[in-house]
Amino acid sequence: MRPLVRLEGVSKFYPRVHKPGERLRAFASILAGREPQSGAQVLDDISLEIHPGQSFGIIGENGAGKSTLLKVLTGVISPSKGTVEVNARVAALLELGAGFQPDFSGIDNVKMKASLLGMSSRQLDGKMDEILAFADIGDYVHEPVKHYSSGMVVRLGFAVVAASAPELLITDEVLAVGDESFQKKCIRWIETFLENGNTLLMVSHSMFLVQKLCRKALWVHEGKARKMGDVFAVTQSYLAYHEEKSGSEKRLRDSQKGADGLYQVKEFRVVGDMDSDELVIGHGEDLSAELILYSPDGRPPVALVGVMRADGTPVYGVASDFDGISPIAVDKQHFRYHIRFRALQLLPGNYTIRGHAMDPEGMRLCDTTEIRFSVSGQSREMGFIHLPHDWNGEG
Amino acid sequence: MNLLTNNFFRQLVSRAIRTDYLENLTGFAWLVLQPLLLLAVYAFVFTTIFKARVPDSGTIGFVPFLAVAFWPWTAFSEGILRSANAVSANSALIGKVSFASELLPLSTVTATFLMHMAGYVAVLIVLTLMGTPLHPWGVLASIPVLIFMYLLSAGLSLFASSLQVFVRDIGQILPPFMTFWFFTTPILYSVSLLPEPWSKLMSLNPITWYVEHLRNFLLFGNFELGPIDLAVPVFSILVFWGSLKFFRRLSRHFEDFL
Repeated sequence: MRPLVRLEGVSKFYPRVHKPGERLRAFASILAGREPQSGAQVLDDISLEIHPGQSFGIIGENGAGKSTLLKVLTGVISPSKGTVEVNARVAALLELGAGFQPDFSGIDNVKMKASLLGMSSRQLDGKMDEILAFADIGDYVHEPVKHYSSGMVVRLGFAVVAASAPELLITDEVLAVGDESFQKKCIRWIETFLENGNTLLMVSHSMFLVQKLCRKALWVHEGKARKMGDVFAVTQSYLAYHEEKSGSEKRLRDSQKGADGLYQVKEFRVVGDMDSDELVIGHGEDLSAELILYSPDGRPPVALVGVMRADGTPVYGVASDFDGISPIAVDKQHFRYHIRFRALQLLPGNYTIRGHAMDPEGMRLCDTTEIRFSVSGQSREMGFIHLPHDWNGEG
Repeated sequence: MNLLTNNFFRQLVSRAIRTDYLENLTGFAWLVLQPLLLLAVYAFVFTTIFKARVPDSGTIGFVPFLAVAFWPWTAFSEGILRSANAVSANSALIGKVSFASELLPLSTVTATFLMHMAGYVAVLIVLTLMGTPLHPWGVLASIPVLIFMYLLSAGLSLFASSLQVFVRDIGQILPPFMTFWFFTTPILYSVSLLPEPWSKLMSLNPITWYVEHLRNFLLFGNFELGPIDLAVPVFSILVFWGSLKFFRRLSRHFEDFL
């Protein structure tokens, strides 16, 4: 099947054009038919294919190059390297304003925008009522757009795009501006649009929306495609990256305490599948860990095991003495604990499990080791732990 | 792409007409009144103050001599001046929507020509009413002349507006340049007034050909044409074609420089 969109090795440089000299040099190279190959690199070797019906989400941090990628896709800018191929009737809603002229009335801008989307005046006449009903901004359509609120601009812009019956809809983070009821209206419209076999390409910071509307996703990081594939896998790695980013500071602080070397963790390991150096445990599987603690005086130390999210938020912690458990002595100074969390209810994401050695009284934390792991699975549940539940008394 | 059936192009032209010409006027009346008032000013200045006379023009007075050349020149020059910043003024549109950006300067030139041609028609009617007979065949023959003049103006507009994105100084250079061009074109005077080397030089100016032929056709009923008269129309077409190529080569990079 022919892809709707195919990008191959797309890179984009913004030439340096602030000083007149740089401007002229860049201009001369364009006149000579050369693409500028230096300057600020915004996109670096991105390839992707979008097939009909496979809605695609683009996620990434601010400044990662998402909007530039959309501009390349919609043909607003041309890539410095690589090829872009689009085989669909595209309607794009990029940024606020969507190319509206502030001094003209809403109606005039609707006519302009519709003509840009390739509608003839006769087609537009037939759709005008539909557009105004969808935008639902009343008599404001006769006012200049500069008097509109940002929400009203988006309402009007979306209404025209919806009426133009595209095959591929490209949106930037614009829906976020509308109020609750308009957002719902747009999402209902997009869902119907998708059910009819059309395709959506969206940039959003709302992982919820991306997971809800898209089947595949691309994570753009510093202009590169960091991860691409199934929407759940990509959004989970992206969220984990953010959790780690905000958690790294806290971990550093934590690792400095408890360095009292009397009782030590000699060995700490978790049983699970190794997937490219990453410990992966399926949602609902057992999590087993083994701790070997060292005691200089031969008295058995207390073990403390805790699970936390990648950002350091504690999920659960338990010590052996809470449960009145004694270790198995390996030799005079080494003691073994084994703990198993049955049918792990953590939601997919990245986590850390820590094993601590405490003094035999269970009062002082003496040593800490940690292992990172991730929980795999597909779930749209929110938060980080599954709470068993039933609806309407069934289940 | 067919400009006549392109809905977006029509929208751009009508928008340009409304903002540039109709916004602050009370209606269509001003569109005709304004050029006529301007003509009255020129008539007063040149016939009463400067006592300008047209040599070898027989019964034709200075006012018809001036009016017939002045309006097409205004359309030509204003078309270029107005559209020179058509691309950079619409940077918001270029950064957000993908479309053929050559429509921006082309729509400005087209709107300017349409407006000035409406004024031209009004002026020609007034001239006839005031007793200057216009040759009916001349009116017909001047239509293709004006169309070629429009093509030349559109071509130069494409060139100037795309260059302006990269070389901002175009906006400062153009107005004095167009004033220079105006005075080196026989609009306020006749070529026959000039001494030998200058009149030869002036025939290299394509606008000279346009104003002389408009006068010949409309006022003098002189329809003599030779093979040499193909030069300027062909030149105008080549300028338009070359400028469109030039514009399209640059337009892929507009967003980087705006």
